Amino acid sequence: MAEYTLISAPPLAGVDQTHGDIRLTAPKDLAIVSVALPLGGEDAALKAVASGYGTDLPDVGKSAMAGEARLVRLGADQAFVLFQRAEPDAEKVVAGKLGDTAYLTDQTDTWCGLEISGPGSRTALERICPLDLHADAFAEHDAARTVMEHLGVIIIRTGQDSFLLLSASSSAGSFLHAVETSIKNVS
Amino acid sequence: MTQPNRIGGGLIDRSKEIKFRFNDKHLKGFEGDTLASALLANGQRLVGRSFKYHRPRGIFTAGSEEPNALVQLRTGAHQEPNTRATMVELFDGLRATSQNHRGSLENDLMAVTDWLSPFLSAGFYYKTFMWPKAFWEKFYEPAIRSSAGLGRLSMKEDPDIYDKGFLHCDLLVIGAGPAGLAAALAAGRTGARVILADEDFQPGGRLTAETLEVDGMAGADWAAQAMAELAAMDNVRVMIRTTVYGAYDHGIYGALERCTDHLADSGGKPRQILWRIYSRRAVLAAGSTERPIAFGNNDRPGVMLAGAVRTYVNRFGVAPGREVAVFTNNDDGWRTAADLTEKGVHVRAVIDCRDRAAPVQLPDVRHIRGASVVDTVGRKGLKSITLTDGQVLPVDCLAVSGGWNPAVHLTCHQRGRPEWRDDINAFVPAGSLPVGMAVAGAANGSMTLAAALAEGRAQAEAQISDLGFTPVQAEAPNAEDEPHEGVAFWYVKESRKRAWLDQQNDVTVKDVKLSHREGYRSVELLKRYTTLGMATDQGKTANIPALAIMAECTGKSIPETGTTIFRPPYTPVPMGALAGRSRGKDFRPYRLTPSHKWAEEHGASFVNVGNWLRAEWYVQGDEKGWRDSVDREAKTTREKVGICDVTTLGKIDIKGRDAGAFLDKVYSNTFSTLKVGKVRYGLMLREDGICYDDGTTARLGENHYVMTTTTANAVLVFRRMEFARQCLWPNMDVHMISTTDGWAQFAVAGPKSRDLLRKVVDKEFDLSNEAFPFMGCGEITVCGGTPARLFRISFSGELAYEIAVPARYGNSMMGVLMEAGKEFGAAPYGTEALGVMRIEKGHATGNELNGQTTAYNIGLGKMVSQKKECIGNVLSQRPEMIREDAVRLMGFRPVDRSKKLIAGSHFINKGEDAVMENDQGWMTSVAFSPNLGHSIGLGFVKRGHERKGEIIRAVSPVHGTEMEVEIVSAHFVDPEGERLRG
Repeated sequence: MAEYTLISAPPLAGVDQTHGDIRLTAPKDLAIVSVALPLGGEDAALKAVASGYGTDLPDVGKSAMAGEARLVRLGADQAFVLFQRAEPDAEKVVAGKLGDTAYLTDQTDTWCGLEISGPGSRTALERICPLDLHADAFAEHDAARTVMEHLGVIIIRTGQDSFLLLSASSSAGSFLHAVETSIKNVS
Repeated sequence: MTQPNRIGGGLIDRSKEIKFRFNDKHLKGFEGDTLASALLANGQRLVGRSFKYHRPRGIFTAGSEEPNALVQLRTGAHQEPNTRATMVELFDGLRATSQNHRGSLENDLMAVTDWLSPFLSAGFYYKTFMWPKAFWEKFYEPAIRSSAGLGRLSMKEDPDIYDKGFLHCDLLVIGAGPAGLAAALAAGRTGARVILADEDFQPGGRLTAETLEVDGMAGADWAAQAMAELAAMDNVRVMIRTTVYGAYDHGIYGALERCTDHLADSGGKPRQILWRIYSRRAVLAAGSTERPIAFGNNDRPGVMLAGAVRTYVNRFGVAPGREVAVFTNNDDGWRTAADLTEKGVHVRAVIDCRDRAAPVQLPDVRHIRGASVVDTVGRKGLKSITLTDGQVLPVDCLAVSGGWNPAVHLTCHQRGRPEWRDDINAFVPAGSLPVGMAVAGAANGSMTLAAALAEGRAQAEAQISDLGFTPVQAEAPNAEDEPHEGVAFWYVKESRKRAWLDQQNDVTVKDVKLSHREGYRSVELLKRYTTLGMATDQGKTANIPALAIMAECTGKSIPETGTTIFRPPYTPVPMGALAGRSRGKDFRPYRLTPSHKWAEEHGASFVNVGNWLRAEWYVQGDEKGWRDSVDREAKTTREKVGICDVTTLGKIDIKGRDAGAFLDKVYSNTFSTLKVGKVRYGLMLREDGICYDDGTTARLGENHYVMTTTTANAVLVFRRMEFARQCLWPNMDVHMISTTDGWAQFAVAGPKSRDLLRKVVDKEFDLSNEAFPFMGCGEITVCGGTPARLFRISFSGELAYEIAVPARYGNSMMGVLMEAGKEFGAAPYGTEALGVMRIEKGHATGNELNGQTTAYNIGLGKMVSQKKECIGNVLSQRPEMIREDAVRLMGFRPVDRSKKLIAGSHFINKGEDAVMENDQGWMTSVAFSPNLGHSIGLGFVKRGHERKGEIIRAVSPVHGTEMEVEIVSAHFVDPEGERLRG
C-alpha cells in the first residue's frame, strides 16, 4: 500500500444544471484518446478500427457510435475515440482494440466536456457558436472544430436537441461560464 | 388637458395608457407611441438645443434619420445620452431629459452663441484658436469642449448586460417595408431560410405611415397579414427592433437587436444583442429618406419633413400642428396635405415651388404655385412663415418635402459608389455592391408602392433561384403607383436668414458656400471643414442638399461634384453592445493550473501569464512584502527542496516513424540521435535565423517524443510545427497533438528533491543517480500505480526533476508532494522565485529570446547545426548575424553591491557619452539574488565573452539612473553544473 493516495478531480465534474427547457451536464468519466493514422499505414489502421469497433471510421466532420464509444473524425489522419472510463488508462483501452496500427495519445485530461440538451439548446448556442447548427447544415453525429468566446471547441451533435462540447481543461471555468451565460440569456 | 394634439386613428393602443416624464413634465401617451409621437401629442414642440448655437429645436423626422430630437434617456447609471426620440418606444415610467443647455431648456444661457454666430462660421476654430499656441490644450480645448457636445455620460459603470450571437440564412431581407415584406414572402414560401430584419418595432415601413391600399385593404393591414404569414413559417425568422448596421465580407452582416430598450427593466436579460448574420444572399429594402429644402430659419420647432408629418397623423394619431402648411418641390408633399385634410387637420396652404397644376385636388386647401418659404417666425415654436412674395401665413407646423433619397448606405460599405438618377434627383445603388446583395424598392430608386412590391418580390426570387429554390406561383399584390414627380430644388435663394442644412451640426447653406470659397471643394473636404454629415445621424437628411449647393457653386453637376459614401454603422451602435460579454474578469478566458485550488488555499498571489493565472509567490507567516516570500522560496529551493507548478509550459506529443527526423528539421540541433529515456535541450530558429523558442524534448519511445515549449509560445510553436508537417514536409510520417492541459507537471528542485520523490514514486522505479541520471526521463507510476512521467531536468540549476501526472490528479499531487516534503523543509515556489533562480543560473527566457537575438548572441551558436537542413540555419549564418563584435549574453553585478540594477539600462563604456553611437548593449533581466546577497543581471553586451571583469556603465535615461557594473559569467550559481548532476 502506497503511503500517499491521489484524488481525481476533473475540472467540471458534477456540473448538472437545468434552466427552463435546457439541461447542462458534464459527462461523467469521459475518456478521450486521439488516433493518428500512420502515413502509408492508413488502410491497416482503418481496418483495425473496423474490426476493433465494428464500424468504419466516419468521414471527416462526422462521428459514429460504436457500442458505447463514439468515433469522431477530425481530420484526414486524425480521429478521437470517446468513451466512459474512470481509470487513467484510456490509451491502453484503445490500444487493446487497435494494436499498434495507429498512433494513440491520451487526451482525457486535456479536454473537458459539457453536454447541452433540450429544445432551447440551439438557441442558446446561437450566442457563442459561429457555426450553423440548423439540422440541415449540422446533422446528428456531425462534428466540427470551432471557437466560442475565444476558446477552441469541438462540437458534436449527439441528438436532435443535444450537443457535446469539448474544450481545453485549463480554461474549464471560462468555458462553463460561456455556455452557462448563453443558456441563462435565452431561458 | 392631456394629449391636446391627439387625433383619431393610428396603430396605437388607446386602451393602454403610458405615463412618462420629459424634464419636469408628467405626460401620457399610448402603447405604440414613440417618445417623439407622445411629445407631439402633448404639444411639446421644443425638445432640445442645437449642437453649436444652442438653437431651440424640435422633432424633425419620424425615424432613425432624426438630427434634432436627441434626448437623454433613463436616469442614474442607466442614463443614455443622444437617444433619438423618434426611435424610442414609449414605456411606462420612461424618463427623458433634454440636452445641451445651461439653465432650463426654455431659457438656455448658452443661446448667446446664436447671437455670436456671425463670428462662428465654418472653420472658426481652425482660424481663431491658433495663438498663443500653449493656450490650445490648457484653455481653448477645455472651454470649447464644455460648451459643445450634446448629451452627457453618467460616468458610472453600465449596469446592463449585452450579448452577441451568430445567425445563418439563405436570404437576409433588410427592411420590412413593402419591398422587404414582398421579398420575405417570396423567399419564405420557397422554403428557403429567411431572416427579415427591421429597425422599427412596428414592421411595415411606409405601409404603417400611409393611407395607400394594397389588395384593397389598408397598407398597415396588408403588412400585418404578411407578418402573420411569415411568422407561421418555420424557415423565416422575423427580427424587429433590429438594425442591420453593416455589410461585411462574404455576405456577413452586422445587426443590433434592441431586446429590452422598450421595457422599463431588462429583467436581467441582455439589453441588446450584436448579431453576426451569415447570409448566402441579401435583399436590401431599406427604403428612402426624405430630404428638406433649405430656407431661412428652417430649423424652428414645428418645421418638419412632410413624410414625418404624415407618419405622425396616420400611424400615431397625432397632429403635429393645428394650422399646417406644406412646402414641397414634388408630388409627394401633396399627400401630406391630403392626409391631414382627411383627418380634419387644417391645411392653410400648399406652397409648391413648381409653377404647375396641383397633382391632387384638395378643394379646401390653398395652392400657392411657384412660390417658396423664405423665413419663419417663432423662436421656441413656429408661429408663421413668410413666402417669397412677402405674404405671411400664420401656421404652427410646416411640412417640408425636398424629395426622397434612396437609403443606399449599406451598398457603400465595400466602396460601392452610388450613381445619380436625374428622373428622381437622387443617388441610387450602382457599381459593385457587397457580394450577394440585391437592392429593391425605394432603396433602389423604385419610389412608388406598386413598383416597390414588385421589385421586392422579383429580387428575392432571383436571389433564391440562384441558390436552387423554385419560386412559388402567387398573385402579385394589387397596389397603385402614386404620383411622385419632383424637381431639383434644394434651397431658397431669396432667403437672407441662415438656412440650415445639417441641423445636427448646425451647418448652413452659407457654410457650404464659405467652404467652396476657401477651396474646400471636394465633398470629403467639405465634410471635414464644416462637420457636415457627422455625428449620430451621419447627415442622412443633409448630405444631398449640401452636395447640390456645392455643385451649384462649382458650376458642375451633382454627380461630377461627387458623393460621400458610407461606412458602417448605419445608425449608432452602443459601445456596450460592441463589447458584449467581454468585460471585467470575463474580458478574456482565463486558464488555471491544476494546482490552482491548492495555491489559493496556501497564500498564493497570482499573476496573469498570457491567459494563465500562475502563482507568483506564496505568502507565509508574517512576510511583509513580496521580496520576503520570493527570497525565502529561492533560498529554500537551493538549500532544501522547492516545488513549482510548471504545467503552463507547452507540451506536444509527437509520434511517427519520422518523428526524430522531423524534430531535426524544426530544431537547430539534432534529436534523431537522442536515446530513448533521454531528454535534450533544443533551440528553434525562425526562418530568418533569429531565435524563436527553446525547451526540452524527451524521447519516450522509438517513435514517440514529448516536446516542451515556453508558456508564451506553446500555441505558436504547435501551429508552426503543423505548418511544417502539412506544408513543408508532407511526406514525413509524423503526428502531433497538444497535451499541455493533459498533464499536471511540477518542478521538484533542490538537494532534497530525490529524497522527496522517492517517497512518492512507486518503489519499483530506481531514482539513483546511476539509474536515473541528469537528462534522463521515463514513464513511471506514483502513489500506488497512477501513471506519471518523470524528467530529470533543471531550470534552477539544482538537482531537480519535473514530474507529471494526469491533470485530474494535479491538485492532489501538489498536496502529496508538499506532505512528503515536509520532513525536508519543502516549500512551494512561484514564478518570481523561478525567475530569480534562472537568472542566477544564466538561463535565457523571453526577455533574452525577444525576437532580435541569435543563437550566437545568447552563446549557443554551436547548437545551430550546419550538417543538416533545418529551419533558420542557413540565414543564421548571414555575416551580420555572426559578426565578431556582436552582443553576447553575459552576467552583470553592480560594483557597489548595495545598488539595484535596472532592466532596460543600456551599457556605455566608461568615459564615453551616453548616446546611441556609444551603445554597447542592454540589460535584459535583473533580480535580487538571495543566495549572493546582491542584485544581479543578465544582458547583452558587445564582445561580452572577451570582457569578463571589465567595468562599464549601466545607464537608464528613462529612470535617470547610472551605475558602474562588472561584466561576469551569466552563471552566478554553480557555474560547473555540479549540483544538477549530483
